[in-house]
Amino acid sequence: MKSFVRRFPRMAIGSAIILAVIAMAATAPIFFPFSPWDMRGSPFEPPGSPDFLLGSDALGRDIAAGIAHGAWVSLMIGGISTMASLGIGVSLGALAGYVGGRVDDAVMRFAEFFQTIPSFLLAILLVAIFRPSIFSIIAAIALVSWPPVARVVRAEFLSLRKREFVQAAEVLGVSHMRVVWQTLLPNALPPVIVLGSLMVANAVLTESALSFLGLGDANWMSWGFLVGSGRSVIRIGWWISVLPGVAIFITVLGLNLLGEGLQTWLNPRLSKRDMP
Amino acid sequence: MAQSASVEAGYAMTKKLLGIDDLSIGLPVYADRPRAVSKVSFSLNEGEILCVVGESGSGKSMIANAIMGLLPRELPVLGGKIDLQGIDLLTQTPAQLRSLRGSRMGTVFQEPMAALNPLMRIGDQIAEVFYVHGLPGKPQQIIDLLRAVNLPDPEALIHVYPHMLSGGQRQRVVIAMAIALEPALLIADEPTTALDVTTQAQILNLIREIQRRRNSGVLFITHDFGVVREIADRVIVMKDGELVEHGTVSDVLKRPSHDYTKKLLAAVPKPNTGAPRPRSERTILKASHLRKTFWRGNKEVAALNDINLDLRKGETIGLVGESGSGKSTFARTIVNLIAPDSGEIRFEGTDLHSLSRKQWKPFRKRIQFLFQDPFESLDPRRSVGDIIAAGPMAHGASAAEARAVAKEKLRLVSLDPSALDRWPHEFSGGQRQRIGIARALAMNAELLIADEPVSALDVSVQAQILDLLEGLRDKLGLSMLFITHDMRVAAQICDRIAVMKLGQIVEEAPAREILSNPQHPYTKTLIASVPGLSGESANHRTVEAL
Amino acid sequence: MTESRLHAMPRLIGWRVLKMALMVLAIVVVNFLLIHAAPGDPASAIAGQSGQADAEFMRQLREQFGLDKPLPVQLWIYIERVLTFDLGVSHRLQRPVLTVILERLPATLLLTGSAFLIALSSGIALGVRAARKPGGIADTVIMGVSLFFYATPLFLVGIVLVLVFGVWLNWLPTFGMETVDVPLHGLARVLDVAWHAVLPVVTLAVFYSAVYVRLTRASMLEVSSYPFVKTARAKGATEHRVTWVHVLRNALLPVITLAGIQAGHLIGGSVLVETVFAWPGIGSLAFEALIARDYDLLLGIFLCTSVVVLVFNLLTDLLYLVFDPRVQAL
Repeated sequence: MKSFVRRFPRMAIGSAIILAVIAMAATAPIFFPFSPWDMRGSPFEPPGSPDFLLGSDALGRDIAAGIAHGAWVSLMIGGISTMASLGIGVSLGALAGYVGGRVDDAVMRFAEFFQTIPSFLLAILLVAIFRPSIFSIIAAIALVSWPPVARVVRAEFLSLRKREFVQAAEVLGVSHMRVVWQTLLPNALPPVIVLGSLMVANAVLTESALSFLGLGDANWMSWGFLVGSGRSVIRIGWWISVLPGVAIFITVLGLNLLGEGLQTWLNPRLSKRDMP
Repeated sequence: MAQSASVEAGYAMTKKLLGIDDLSIGLPVYADRPRAVSKVSFSLNEGEILCVVGESGSGKSMIANAIMGLLPRELPVLGGKIDLQGIDLLTQTPAQLRSLRGSRMGTVFQEPMAALNPLMRIGDQIAEVFYVHGLPGKPQQIIDLLRAVNLPDPEALIHVYPHMLSGGQRQRVVIAMAIALEPALLIADEPTTALDVTTQAQILNLIREIQRRRNSGVLFITHDFGVVREIADRVIVMKDGELVEHGTVSDVLKRPSHDYTKKLLAAVPKPNTGAPRPRSERTILKASHLRKTFWRGNKEVAALNDINLDLRKGETIGLVGESGSGKSTFARTIVNLIAPDSGEIRFEGTDLHSLSRKQWKPFRKRIQFLFQDPFESLDPRRSVGDIIAAGPMAHGASAAEARAVAKEKLRLVSLDPSALDRWPHEFSGGQRQRIGIARALAMNAELLIADEPVSALDVSVQAQILDLLEGLRDKLGLSMLFITHDMRVAAQICDRIAVMKLGQIVEEAPAREILSNPQHPYTKTLIASVPGLSGESANHRTVEAL
Repeated sequence: MTESRLHAMPRLIGWRVLKMALMVLAIVVVNFLLIHAAPGDPASAIAGQSGQADAEFMRQLREQFGLDKPLPVQLWIYIERVLTFDLGVSHRLQRPVLTVILERLPATLLLTGSAFLIALSSGIALGVRAARKPGGIADTVIMGVSLFFYATPLFLVGIVLVLVFGVWLNWLPTFGMETVDVPLHGLARVLDVAWHAVLPVVTLAVFYSAVYVRLTRASMLEVSSYPFVKTARAKGATEHRVTWVHVLRNALLPVITLAGIQAGHLIGGSVLVETVFAWPGIGSLAFEALIARDYDLLLGIFLCTSVVVLVFNLLTDLLYLVFDPRVQAL
């Protein structure tokens, strides 16, 4: 353990941060057993005041409670949307890389399209038109973030198919499904894992940006919403925007450290254009 | 008067150019030995070609890097002295060393394909040598240099980018850069290893020609005793960072004193001189009118252009050719990794090309493939046992049965059955190639397609694997199609040899006939290009001819 | 450039333009699908759930989109409209969408363009510096700072800058693009706009600078290990020359590629930055349209910014074509 920390300090710090955020999300109902939307006292109390550890907002809501409860939304949306886009990306990438030819062309044109258009604007459009909800936010983030995964998996498959040990499986008469599941996917996995952790970071950022613009789910407290709601009163209570923003920063930093650590640990070669 | 002049000339001929004294180079702590190079001493005279021979990891390239002052930071010089024309190189400042590089010592590296900056024109890259040493470098000088390395149409070539040249042409450009400022010392680090054999012969000739013309000293690093025989005046042999033998080329080749040198020399493949094996009447594999074209950009390349071949039961045919001749494409069409455009491949009468994937399956057991690169051909994420068992399991064996088979086959290739539960990365190149053979034989194949199975191996390991294959072939009655670029290897193991060029088999005959009496002009060139095959040092031959 | 490449250029550019046209068409189709995939009647989707839409407006919309006709016909009507530069009317502003967008476009191009140039130049310079000695002090500091900004949400950077330089120090303007109360002309106006642009541009630039630093560093380190770099050293080239002539030129290729791809991201970032600084560009227009549920305007913005991004991509591709002699066809 100790030597692991010394060898992969980034991964250790990153994991510690993420575990702390998860712990915060899990314990939010214990430490703040009330809705983060509740008005708990006078507005604009600065951090450190007796009622509010991290201050209160313009309506007297507890910022600390908002941050703790908001952690849950950030992690959940980041996690689920990444899972979904990994699902889309891995299947399309595997299909393109294994079948090749026209299928490959079609999938790659499709991915290129999604990579070129201003994806954040598309996410805004999707959430706005389908009305803001946890579901529409997750779907929008998943829909705009799968192309790098598809590219990575396809590139891995293409290079693996030229590798002799994959050709060896073919020559032995191993079935398509077994080649894909036993030989190609396990060997293509390391860069996907690294990409996955970086994508969670990106998804957390995108979610917070959406709710900052007022496109959050009104039933859930989120960090981006807190930052956005404090923006107009920044001259009176800077902490309302800044502290939840710092929470986003720390989480994203942790995920990035984790991703970089995983990259040195698993040592895959990610092409630069595929970094999110 | 005349006498003293000749004495002076004689003195100039043998003037010491480079002296290496007690040189030691360190290795990082996690390496398998404490030093990359350990207390090595030798010297190089003007007008002399000194070959440094050794297998991979012997530290031979490190010496070249140390001379140039280009050792990576994790490999520090621990002690010793390098003296170039009276200059102690190890005490030079980086700036002083830099001004010596290119002017006093020119270098040619192994990888011609990557040795040139892809974004710079050829002319500019050569001009840079002059520029960085504060010289004008007139266009005419650059054209003359390109002409000196026998490149065609130098006036046009200076405007061309590297990707438009072949490997051999790029190596000529690198040599032109190395000799641009007429350095006294030319360091050549495996300059022909990545090249085809005919190109290799041309580059070796070129280096020798330039060395003669300018009376420069050449430090030539190689793993190939054939090349040594072609080019060296003197030889040093390296093993695990130590100098084990030192002498003139004829002494070292004919009367090696160290056991390691003897072993290396014995491992150099030699034509089989035993009685020829009788040829069976039964054809096992017959290819007729096989064609395959690829699209390279918008150019059509015929990889297979009407290939016909008849392989008899128990026979080994060597398919020899240079890169791009189509020999690997042919190997892969036989096992359906590549589908041919037209033609037939009949295995015991069945046309394999027309079979569906399902119909193919029974033939997978009977026809197997041996790959080139022992570090590429085994799945790094599966245990050795799983790798060998994959074949039997794909054909319906239970896990226990497949494991028993794997165990048996490991013994067959002289590996300990404990290897079953270990991982590919725990084994050396030669051991991994044995695992590859065990995998290919796990379903009792009758026909083995071996695609350059020994070309990624060091010469001593290569000899062991060739022996193993030969033994297995005789024991199991295997028929073999043996693809190689190395005529010497083919001559050792094959009954017949087919020579491929540009997608065609230009000549096919029993091995010894091909060697002693080649018919096709290309075969003649190919055999003449094989380094050291004549048995006499070419250097000495030319001297005698003069 | 060799003769054959020179001859091939018009054909290559032709292909790129054709591909771009197809992409624009695809975006139009996506827009159409979005309108129809929205819950409820497309007209009400466009008019928004604002409740402001009166019956007359809804009737106009239905007619405009041909909603009583079959779907393929509707698609054709929609494409025809877009091809004749009719992007509809913003119901909030009661003005043609295209006119509104073209009015706001220059401000966004100024913001994203300057941020892009600053991010690219500083990113490359710092990345080269960091790669000079991996693990050294400069490298550690540069990579630490870049990781810091890489992980900070754009809007947080903006808000903190507003707080520090606008509210606490009161050094820089934090609102709008120019001083409105005193009309300025000529150079004074240019300086005024530049002064207003400092904080928004810096906000947008720091994140992308961090991206380019990381990319340049990784690319420099990779190219440094290529054999031709050793050839250059063996020639006697100085380290300075090796870095700037041999390594950097090759290391820049992936940076150009990524810069082209990320043009779209830059537009997305400008939505956040313009919102924070009330910069009167497309981004804040998008925010206004969002608040007012002015979806026709939002769709128009998506289409127009996509076209801008595609044009930018075309330019980077051409740059690549000039830069890399190996590229024969794209």
